Amino acid sequence: MKVTGENGMPVEVLLVEDSPGDVRLTREAFGEVNSSIRLHVAADGLEAMAFLKREGVHARAPRPGIILLDLNLPKMDGREVLAQIKADSSLKTIPIVILTTSNSQVDIAKSYQLQANCYLSKPVQLDAFESLVKSINDFWLTKVKLPMQRQSA
Amino acid sequence: MNRDLIERKESGAKYRGLLEAAPDAMVVVNQSGEIVLLNLQAEKRFGYRRDELLGQQVTSIIPEGFAERLIADALRSAEDALAQQIGTGIELNGRRKDGSEFPIEIMLSPLKSAEGILVTAAIRDISVRKSAERHLAQMEGRYRGLLEAAPDAMLVVNQAGEIVLLNVQAEKQFGYRRDELLGQKVKNLIPEGFAERLIADSTRSAAEALAQQIGTGIELIGRRKNGSDFPIELMLSPLESTEGILVTAAIRDISARKGAEKHLAQMEERYRGLLEAAPDAMVVVNQGGEIVLLNLQAEKQFGYRRDELLGQKVKNIIPEGFAERLVADALRSAEDALAQQIGTGIELIGRRKNGSDFPIELMLSPLESTEGILVTAAIRDITLRKKGEADLLNKVEELKLSNDELGQFAYIASHDLQEPLRMVASYTQLLSRRYKGKLDSDADEFIAFAVDGASRMQRLIQDLLAYSRVGTKGQELLNTSSEESLERALINLRGAIEASGALVTHDPLPPVAADEMQLIQLFQNLVGNAIKYQSPGIPKVHISAMQNGGGKWMFAVKDNGLGIDPQYFEKIFGMFQRLHKREEFAGTGIGLAICKKIVERHGGSISVESQPGQGSTFSFALAGIEEES
Repeated sequence: MKVTGENGMPVEVLLVEDSPGDVRLTREAFGEVNSSIRLHVAADGLEAMAFLKREGVHARAPRPGIILLDLNLPKMDGREVLAQIKADSSLKTIPIVILTTSNSQVDIAKSYQLQANCYLSKPVQLDAFESLVKSINDFWLTKVKLPMQRQSA
Repeated sequence: MNRDLIERKESGAKYRGLLEAAPDAMVVVNQSGEIVLLNLQAEKRFGYRRDELLGQQVTSIIPEGFAERLIADALRSAEDALAQQIGTGIELNGRRKDGSEFPIEIMLSPLKSAEGILVTAAIRDISVRKSAERHLAQMEGRYRGLLEAAPDAMLVVNQAGEIVLLNVQAEKQFGYRRDELLGQKVKNLIPEGFAERLIADSTRSAAEALAQQIGTGIELIGRRKNGSDFPIELMLSPLESTEGILVTAAIRDISARKGAEKHLAQMEERYRGLLEAAPDAMVVVNQGGEIVLLNLQAEKQFGYRRDELLGQKVKNIIPEGFAERLVADALRSAEDALAQQIGTGIELIGRRKNGSDFPIELMLSPLESTEGILVTAAIRDITLRKKGEADLLNKVEELKLSNDELGQFAYIASHDLQEPLRMVASYTQLLSRRYKGKLDSDADEFIAFAVDGASRMQRLIQDLLAYSRVGTKGQELLNTSSEESLERALINLRGAIEASGALVTHDPLPPVAADEMQLIQLFQNLVGNAIKYQSPGIPKVHISAMQNGGGKWMFAVKDNGLGIDPQYFEKIFGMFQRLHKREEFAGTGIGLAICKKIVERHGGSISVESQPGQGSTFSFALAGIEEES
């Protein structure tokens, strides 16, 4: 199954995740369902903000169509990243999917207060994880209409 | 005249010997006031020769008060006059031949004679006595105010042991009139121990005697006019005077004190054995808050000698909370005060002689006595108990902390273990999926064991997390529909129910006070077990609830499954306890431990009734919700 963006361009996804194992698993899982996805990875909150603001080595970074955000990150954690993006008028239209191991009600409530677009917890079983990634693809990257990527380079 | 003279001489001869032997001046006078007889002492006293006085008017030596008594005149009869001639202690003035006067005391007695009634007068020179009296009168005036103001009986005594001054208290205390005591020996009032102190004798010097005259609190016996004795306390002080050293004695009647002392001595004897046998410090206190009795333990505990505490305020050893209980005051009646005197286990602070404080427990009981209600206090040093209590509290607090930490630790550990384990499980599963059949058969087998071990460990960690969450992540107990909770649990179990074809039914279930998430988990674990541990056939599970008194509901989850041997009833609720081999039934052995923990957190207990092959019934109680009217 091959899905491309509205203008025929590949879909840019920013994954903010510090665990290389998880990064690889997510990459594998997306690879199973959609080969046109370009998965960019930021290993902490600061790097994620630099990527979104095209700072330093990320000067030529694309504007992602969706952000997959872990909550527990080094340097700047996911809640702070979420708050900064949603406070930024040019970035706040990018949908943010929280993808984390936390099941805590506090984290769930806090994330929605900060206007996360949805909250998903990582299943412990590989099969369940793969099916969750497929759901993200089917919904957020396929069915959902996203705003025009005006700022893409 | 001659005949008269002869007769006079005859009667003179008759009395001569008698007269001359008398120690006083003696004069015999006839009704005309003429001296008819006199003795040598009379000659000496008045400075006349005998013949100068015989036949003379007695008015020449006693100008006034005597002659007048001799004559019946217009104002009184001869009988009256005679009656007046008899008298004791008539004080008059005598006049010597040289014209000087001096105080005399005369004693009159009538004497029948041929010439009619004669009067014999014994005349004593009282110059010395008069001067002493005058001096005393002066002194008396000076000290009167002071003396009379004194609360005690006061006696002033001279070196001869004679009372020279006294106050009205002394009259009252000894039952005499003042004039009955003045000039009397003090021995009459205080038979022993006082007069002896006044005199220097062969056994001691005057200086020693004087030293002994000064004294405080000499306890002696006083004797009243009626002969009765009473205990007195004497305070002596010397008083310089022109007559030499006088001694002032302040005399206090200590009958009341002695009586109290005697009573206490009796009581002390009576209770001594009892008191000393008591294991606690015992103190008996009167309504004035004074210690009247105590035992050896009290001496030890407070670090005082007995005599340092007797008569002292109990506030000295128990500064607060005890003395206040003894006294009726504006705030409460005597009855209330008395009621407060009886108490068990009043915890106060005791103070030792060295000023250090220690915790005590007081047991009070009233004790009727002639002095009113006394209060017996049994005082226990509870330093050790207090320390024990404090230690225990510390231990409990430490234990609670350590328990909380352990709970947190278990939660955090299992949560953090989950992450690397998820990696192990996911990648072994990826390995298995992509490389099964591409390596050799050993590799396939090894990978299969790794995948199985990782996924079992994942279940174990999830159950451990669920178990520790019951304690650390529990929510408030709120009004919860147990029926809805059961239905949520059945939805979670949908897969297992459909796979087994189980028939799950339930009665109408009540609202209860519960943590909803935990109640769902409880039903899920119990119904899940009921479906899981089945013999071949259709599993049937029924959930019911009945009122259990005290606003509680007893829930029952009944199945038709394998049943449980009663010997395992306790064991199955423990952690990691499994009754079956893994090949028969998978499981971590934590499910029922979680159930037990949830029910206990809700204030109830869980139990099981079962026989192997007869199915099982798990029961637990939850608090119901009071109907709102």
